[in-house]
Amino acid sequence: MIELLKQLCSLDGTSGDEGAARDFVISQIKDYCEYKVDNLGNIIAFKKGKNAPAKKVLIDAHLDEVGLIITHIENDGFLRFKIVGGIDTAALLCRRVKISGKIPGVIGCKPVHLCDGDERKKLPDADSLYIDIGVSSADEANTYVAVGDCAVMCSDFTVTGDKILTKALDDRVGCLVLIDLLKQDAEYDFYASFSVQEEVGLRGAGVVAFAVEPDAAIVIDGTTAADVAGVAAAKQVCRQGEGAVVSFMDGATSYDREYYNAALNSGIKAQSKCAVAGGNNAGAIHLSRGGVRTLALSVPCRYIHTAGSVCDMRDIITVRDLAKYMVDQIAGGKL
Amino acid sequence: MDIKEILFKLSDAVSIGNITDASQIAFEELSKYAKTLQNGINVIGEIKGESDYTLMLEAHIDEVGFVVTDIDEDGFLTVKNCGGIDLRALPSRTVVIHGKEKVTGVFCATPPHLGGVKEYDDISVLKIDTLLGEKAKDIIAVGDLVTFNQKAVDLRGSRVTGKSLDNRAGVACLLLLAEKLSDKKLPFNVVFAFTDAEELGCRGAKTAAFSISPDEAIVLDVSFADAPDVPNNDCGKLSGGAMIGMSPILDKGISKTLISIAKENNMPYQTEVMGGRTGTNSDVISISKSGVKTGLVSIPLRNMHTDVEIIDIKDIESVCDLLFKCILKGGNA
Repeated sequence: MIELLKQLCSLDGTSGDEGAARDFVISQIKDYCEYKVDNLGNIIAFKKGKNAPAKKVLIDAHLDEVGLIITHIENDGFLRFKIVGGIDTAALLCRRVKISGKIPGVIGCKPVHLCDGDERKKLPDADSLYIDIGVSSADEANTYVAVGDCAVMCSDFTVTGDKILTKALDDRVGCLVLIDLLKQDAEYDFYASFSVQEEVGLRGAGVVAFAVEPDAAIVIDGTTAADVAGVAAAKQVCRQGEGAVVSFMDGATSYDREYYNAALNSGIKAQSKCAVAGGNNAGAIHLSRGGVRTLALSVPCRYIHTAGSVCDMRDIITVRDLAKYMVDQIAGGKL
Repeated sequence: MDIKEILFKLSDAVSIGNITDASQIAFEELSKYAKTLQNGINVIGEIKGESDYTLMLEAHIDEVGFVVTDIDEDGFLTVKNCGGIDLRALPSRTVVIHGKEKVTGVFCATPPHLGGVKEYDDISVLKIDTLLGEKAKDIIAVGDLVTFNQKAVDLRGSRVTGKSLDNRAGVACLLLLAEKLSDKKLPFNVVFAFTDAEELGCRGAKTAAFSISPDEAIVLDVSFADAPDVPNNDCGKLSGGAMIGMSPILDKGISKTLISIAKENNMPYQTEVMGGRTGTNSDVISISKSGVKTGLVSIPLRNMHTDVEIIDIKDIESVCDLLFKCILKGGNA
C-alpha cells in the first residue's frame, strides 16, 4: 500500500486540474469495478458485491489537493498566482513548486538579511509572492507557462517507521483507501466516488451525491492532527497512531449519531474528532436532495495543506478497515 | 570540469560543524590541480608561481543550518539556528538531522488557531518533528546538526536552484579556476582556501589567512540578486556577471584592476558598493596579521539562506574568467 500511496501523492492535482490523478486512479480501479467520469471530472465507480444491499451506500474521497494558479506574468518573467484552497503563507515562502506537472520553479522571498525587525516577524501578504522559473522576460516565460496553469508544492516521499512525510496526503490517503476497497471482493454492492474540487468548496461531491442518490454516505478524508510539541491536549483535535478519526460535528456537518456511535464501537481502533472545525465533502453530500445520512472517517494528518504533511500508515489501515465494516453494516441493513 | 556537475555535487553535500562532506569533495577536486592540505573543514591548496608573492583566493564552504538544543519524549526537537535564517519560511520545511544516522524531519506547521506560531521572533517555538516518537533519543543527541534537505535542479536556461549555493557557487568557481590555472605559468603563488564557519562570524577565514599569510587576497562569495521584493539599491542583477565589491574596507587597487580587466575584455560585470564591512570573509582577511590587501567578488544569488537559492551558471563561468585573466595579467601585484 505504501508504494501505491507514493504514486498517488506524487501526482499533481490542484483543484480543477485533477486530470493526472484521475487517469492514475482509473488505471488502478478499471479491472475491479464499473466506472464513469461525469461532467465535472468526478470518477463515480460501482462495485458489484456478493449481495444486493439493503441501502445504497456511497463512499467518497477527493482527488484534488491544494495548489496555486498562475494569474499574471510580469515583464521580467516572474509569475503571480492565487492560492487554490487554503494554504498558510508560511508554507509557501521559499518553496519549490512544479507548474503543469513539468516546469520547476521556486517561490522567492526577500532575503532575511534585508528584512527589518518587524518584517522578520510577520508573514508577508500572500499577494506579494511570486514564482521564479529562471527566465528574465515575459516572452521567455510565455514559452513555458500560461495564465491559468496550476502549480503544486514539491516534496519527496519519506517513510520513517509507520510515518509518511510528503505532500497531498490530504486526500490521497482517502483515494488509497477507496482503491483498496474496490480491489477487494465486496459483500454488498456500493458506489465509490473520487471527487474533484473539494478544496474550493466541496463542489464535486455535491453533484456526485445528486447523481448517485445514495441512502447513506461515508466520507474518507485527512484531518488536522495537532498532536505536536507545544499544543495543549485540548487543542490537538486527534492523535496519530490512535486510529480512525470519527466526526460528530465539524464546520460543515452535524453527523448521523447512530453511524458515529457504531463506528466508535466497532472494535476497530477509532477516536473522536475533538474539535468542531474544518469540513469535508460530507458538508455537500449530507445536504444532497432530501438529505443523506453521513459518516466521516478521517486519517489524522499533521501539517495538513503543506508540502511536509505527515500521516501514520497504521491509521490509514484502520480507516480502511472501519470503512469496510461500516459499508457492510449499513448496506447489510443493520444500521 | 563540468561546472554544473561539480556545483550540484557540492550543493547536495553538507559541510557544517563537524560534518565535512562538501569540503571532502572540494579537497579531492582541488587535489587534482594544487598541492593540498585539509584542516577540519578548511581546505587549502597551493599552485606555485614564479615569485614569492602570494595571492589568496578564498570562498567559504560552510552552510547555514541548525543545532539541536533539546529533544522531548515524543521526538520533537528544539533547535538554534547557525547563521541567519528566515524563521517564517521554516514551518513544513523538511530537514536532515545528522544524528547517529541521517533522519529526515519536518518543522511543525500547526495552524495558528490550534496553537501554532503567530509571530516569528523566537526559533525555540518552531519544533522539528523527527517522526521517530520516543525512539528519537536513541538516534539523536543534543548538539547534533540539522541542515536543509534539497537536491539541486535546473530551472530554465542556465539558472539552477538548490541549497547552499551560498557559497558552493564560489567554491565551484574557484575549482574551475584551479583547473584552468593548473597548466599555466603563474606570475606568483596562488593559494586556494575553502573555509569553515563564515556563517557564524568568518571564523575559518581568520585562521586560514593567518596560516597562508598572503600578500593579497580576493574573496569570492555570493550577494543579493534582483527580485520583485528586493530594493534596487540593495542588489545586483542575476545573470549580470561578477559583482565587483567596492567598500572602505576593500583595497581600491584590486577593485579598479578587476573593473579594468572586465572592461578591456568586454566581460559582463556590475559593481557592489558597500559603506563599510561587507558581511563576507574579506572583513577578517583584510585585517589578518599586519593587514592584507583584499578584494571581493560576488556571484549574484536569489533567496539567500534558503533551500531554494538561485544562481546562473553563466555568472560562475564569467567570474572564473575574470579572475583567470586578472591572475595571468599579473593581478594587482
